[in-house]
Amino acid sequence: MSYKFPVPTQGTHTRPFWEGAKAGKLMLPRCQDCNRVHWYPRFICPHCHSTNLEWIQGSGEGTVHTYAVQHMAFGPWAEEVPYVTAYIDLKEGDRMLTVLRGVDPSKPEEIRIGAHVKVEFEPANDDMHLPFWRVVEG
Amino acid sequence: MPGTLYKSAAIVGAAEANQIGFLKEPVTALQLHIEAIKNLSDSTGLPISRIEGVFSTGWSSELCEHLGIRPKYIDTTAVGGCSFEMHVHHAMAAIHAGIIDTALISHGENGHSARAIGGRGAANYGRGGVNSPGQEMTMAYGLGSAPSNYAHAMVRHMHRFGTTTEDFAHIAKVTRDWATLNPRAAMYSKDVHPFGGPITVEQVEESRLIAWPLTILHCCMVADHGGAVLVASPKVAASLNTKPVWIAGAGESMGHSNMLEMEDFTATSASVSADAAYTMAGMGPSDMEMALIYDSFTITAAITAEMLGLAPRGEGHLLWKDGRAAPGGSFPINTNGGGLSFNHSGMYGMPLLIEAYRQLSGTAEDGINGDKGKQTSARTCVVNGTGGSLSTTGTLVLVADD
Repeated sequence: MSYKFPVPTQGTHTRPFWEGAKAGKLMLPRCQDCNRVHWYPRFICPHCHSTNLEWIQGSGEGTVHTYAVQHMAFGPWAEEVPYVTAYIDLKEGDRMLTVLRGVDPSKPEEIRIGAHVKVEFEPANDDMHLPFWRVVEG
Repeated sequence: MPGTLYKSAAIVGAAEANQIGFLKEPVTALQLHIEAIKNLSDSTGLPISRIEGVFSTGWSSELCEHLGIRPKYIDTTAVGGCSFEMHVHHAMAAIHAGIIDTALISHGENGHSARAIGGRGAANYGRGGVNSPGQEMTMAYGLGSAPSNYAHAMVRHMHRFGTTTEDFAHIAKVTRDWATLNPRAAMYSKDVHPFGGPITVEQVEESRLIAWPLTILHCCMVADHGGAVLVASPKVAASLNTKPVWIAGAGESMGHSNMLEMEDFTATSASVSADAAYTMAGMGPSDMEMALIYDSFTITAAITAEMLGLAPRGEGHLLWKDGRAAPGGSFPINTNGGGLSFNHSGMYGMPLLIEAYRQLSGTAEDGINGDKGKQTSARTCVVNGTGGSLSTTGTLVLVADD
């Protein structure tokens, strides 16, 4: 089944992330001077302004920071409502956005902030495999 | 005799991106900006963290977010090739006024590379555009409208402070009460709009879900609005027939551009912009007698009230729930009916200014239908606008003429 949702345009400096995603790895940018991971990928460390950046393989683990249940959406997503969106605190630091898997959108009160999540990748096309996060325990 | 701005500022450094010209490896406008800024910092010795004002023809808040800085002066004047000369002018004025000591003026435009990687460098005024890395990492996840984003802040507020959807529903109910006193309000009455007139907390709770926990009555409308205000010098002000309302304090700030970068989902930069405005005015929250707060959503109003120092953290909603913000209450808020029930066309900053002027000049009754009731006795007002996804804020402290 072909992937029907919007797919991002790959940037000029994010290739390592998308290549990692194709191999099932969550690659994260880290500053070699202050050792902090940041997300989204920058041309410069937003913490210490060094340009000595590297890519590391992340653990693919995190927790739910906050979430919402979308009942009104546009384009292909409109056919999917209700679905849960969430911001994920990465184990390595900083945050990612996702459509959260492994939860019931009809019971929003049962979704737990702080719940443990793991990343998984869904092929959208030959080049782009998109990360999504799934709740693995309450 | 030189004018007052004479020698009040100087250009102290200049730099370019690492590579310029017809580049073989395509670059984004944002990359060109960042390289030039890094090189400028290196050559002048001024750390990027010490930049206080940012001027660009693009989306300056995205540029600042990428750099990880939160300036106190943000300018995105974009009027064509001469914009940068104007940025110098604006920066000079801001420096002369004592608001900032350092101003970054930045340019990045990938007119050549854009042909290879999509988006036109010139058309997006040097923005990251389709190649913005923040967009690249968020656009796949089904967030589109403002409520789809703001709902995440409400959930975090409920988690952290134990607030409930019912707490926030009082904001919608009280704000509607104000609208029923304002004949110009879109939700003034059932005659004006089928869903107009008074509403109950229960109705807010039970209305259609947009993005849980936001129901439609927690959300502002999207209508049509036009407005303007005149700002003048004291001398000009004294020569006019209208009453002046004095700008006692002003401040601006930002937390982020993309909500992905919102550090604390229960706070905005209004605490910073308000601090600047209060300091300039020599006044504090306790000196304010009313407030006009951008209420894109009930959660926006609650968080902003907390940021403005009008309520402790986690208790902003109590201003409405216990009736202080309501008609006849001790601290009126959003006396026009707000973006929730008066009017909101997409950007609500202008209606805030108009209502603040009317309240403090004693002209808050329009005389339409002969209605009376929304004019308050307030002599001071704090006004706060919020932009983006709880991203940017501007705060004013306004006082009535003696």
